[in-house]
Amino acid sequence: MHKKVLAASVFWLMSGALASAEEQTLTISVYGFVQEEFTEALYKPFEAECGCKLVVETGNSIERLAKLEANKDAPVIDMAVFSLADALSAARKGLTDKIDTAKLSNYDKLYDFAKDPNGDGMSVGYTIYKTGIAYRTDKMTVESWADLLKDEYADHVALPNITTNQGGPVLNMIGKALGKESPDLKEAMAAVGEKRDAFVTFYVKSSQLVQLMQQEEIWAAPMGHFSWAGISKLDLPIGWAATKEGDAGDMNAMVLVKGSKNQELALKFMDFWLSTPMQTKIAEMLIDSPANKEVVVAPEIAEKLTYGADVANKLTFLPAATTLDYREKWLAEWNTAVAQ
Amino acid sequence: MFQNRAEALALALPAAVFATVIFLVPVVIVLAEGFRSPAGWTFSAYTNFFSEPLNRLVLVRTFKLGIAVTVVSAIIGYAAAFAIVNLSASGKGRMIGLISLPLMISPVARTYAWIVILGRTGIVNQALQAVGLSDEPIRLLFTETAVFIGLLQLFLPLMILSLISALENMPKDAILAARVLGANWFQVFWKVILPLTREGLVVGGTLVFTGSLTAYITPAILGGSKVLMLETLLFQRVTVANDFVSASVIAFILIAMCFAANLLLKRLATARNKR
Repeated sequence: MHKKVLAASVFWLMSGALASAEEQTLTISVYGFVQEEFTEALYKPFEAECGCKLVVETGNSIERLAKLEANKDAPVIDMAVFSLADALSAARKGLTDKIDTAKLSNYDKLYDFAKDPNGDGMSVGYTIYKTGIAYRTDKMTVESWADLLKDEYADHVALPNITTNQGGPVLNMIGKALGKESPDLKEAMAAVGEKRDAFVTFYVKSSQLVQLMQQEEIWAAPMGHFSWAGISKLDLPIGWAATKEGDAGDMNAMVLVKGSKNQELALKFMDFWLSTPMQTKIAEMLIDSPANKEVVVAPEIAEKLTYGADVANKLTFLPAATTLDYREKWLAEWNTAVAQ
Repeated sequence: MFQNRAEALALALPAAVFATVIFLVPVVIVLAEGFRSPAGWTFSAYTNFFSEPLNRLVLVRTFKLGIAVTVVSAIIGYAAAFAIVNLSASGKGRMIGLISLPLMISPVARTYAWIVILGRTGIVNQALQAVGLSDEPIRLLFTETAVFIGLLQLFLPLMILSLISALENMPKDAILAARVLGANWFQVFWKVILPLTREGLVVGGTLVFTGSLTAYITPAILGGSKVLMLETLLFQRVTVANDFVSASVIAFILIAMCFAANLLLKRLATARNKR
């Protein structure tokens, strides 16, 4: 009897030890917003499927880059998400590995521009978003990005600060509208600088815009479409401008951390995230707009997202290399032409 | 109180170790960044910083606003504190509670409230138009005035609380004696109250000035990039340019300004005392 109990105990202990040895842990680093929704929609289903544990670190791109750099020789993160410019920055610093897209079964379902957005094989786009102009339809008409600079409107317009993700793309669109498109954005900044005192503000948080619109401080502002849900709920006649230049586009991308221990599992997670059911679920929960072109959502959901091939293919993307190479110059020019 | 100096030092040791490891070491590491270059130690980051006209403008603006907020909060603070210490015990408790209340509310919420109040349709503009001081809404938001008001509201309670404490420790009959001897109210304040409450003013002044200099949320929201200040410039250097060297220079300037303000206030208080 004693032997049986002993044998059973040894078996139980060993099976437990083996099970814990088999259970892998995947560490990911993502943006901090709507993490409860992400947990329900993405993280828990993935843990259930892979039988692994997901450790989620949150923070902004700068914190993430700094952490990757600090742990370059002994990575603690397996997979991370970045804006395209920061993904390129991480790649240039040798912090990311090439992604073996043969292991991503959903890769071909992505829009072409999301497949290898930086052209270095180091990132895959998982969500896109457009940046356009929300405006008071009863107070003004907006047919071009240049309309924001008109004297009769400028003192009711808020523009994004150059320090925001929308800053560069918006100035690029203004330059395009003025027929003075250039990667240094100099002409666009000069045009904005001329009206510096007229513009209501150069916002740093798009969440500010709801309040400014509500108290009629502003009539128009360029913004990421992710802010549209909050703006459109206001009891005011507000529309999304259909400008002749179209909207600006941007994307967030996934990267594989160089030398990380769980790259196979990280690739499985990326593939899971890019799959049609996951991208649909995330879109339906209004968390992120899909980069998977097979996603189908109801019209009332689509209206709140950057959705559909027609919309996606008309977006003007500012190349990440331009953003990264000119960011410092943009800031210096902005401080001279606008902030001073 | 202690049998010997060693006993006192032993008791202070955990706090000293904590402050050194958690505060001093990180500060030294951050500040050292501003003096380092691949070639060795250098002041080039500082000369570069001061050679930029925008940086000089931002430095002057930050200093000017810090001084203005400190002086105005001292003036309002003395009046409020003087009124409160003369209340009954229960009235005093209630007033201190009311003054402390804003400190328990997030600075973000408090700052957002100012966007409503100072907006084109806010109560300030409505009042200005109602009394005929303005025909149309004036732009108050995203100006230096808005940042000044936001900072004043943010830090005034610290000044009032410091001055209440100082006024309560002042001999009650000192003012009466001065008045009996023929001093007017200005002389009473200048020659009696101010010298006797200088410690409170130094503490309050240091808290308000350093707070105004280092606050980020209020200048960022109420000023935006039209009213760039050192702290918003520092944020910009780190988050956009990934330039930790310039950020270190700005951090050094902010710390130096805070220490200088504290030393200056102490010196002024001591100088008055010696006289």
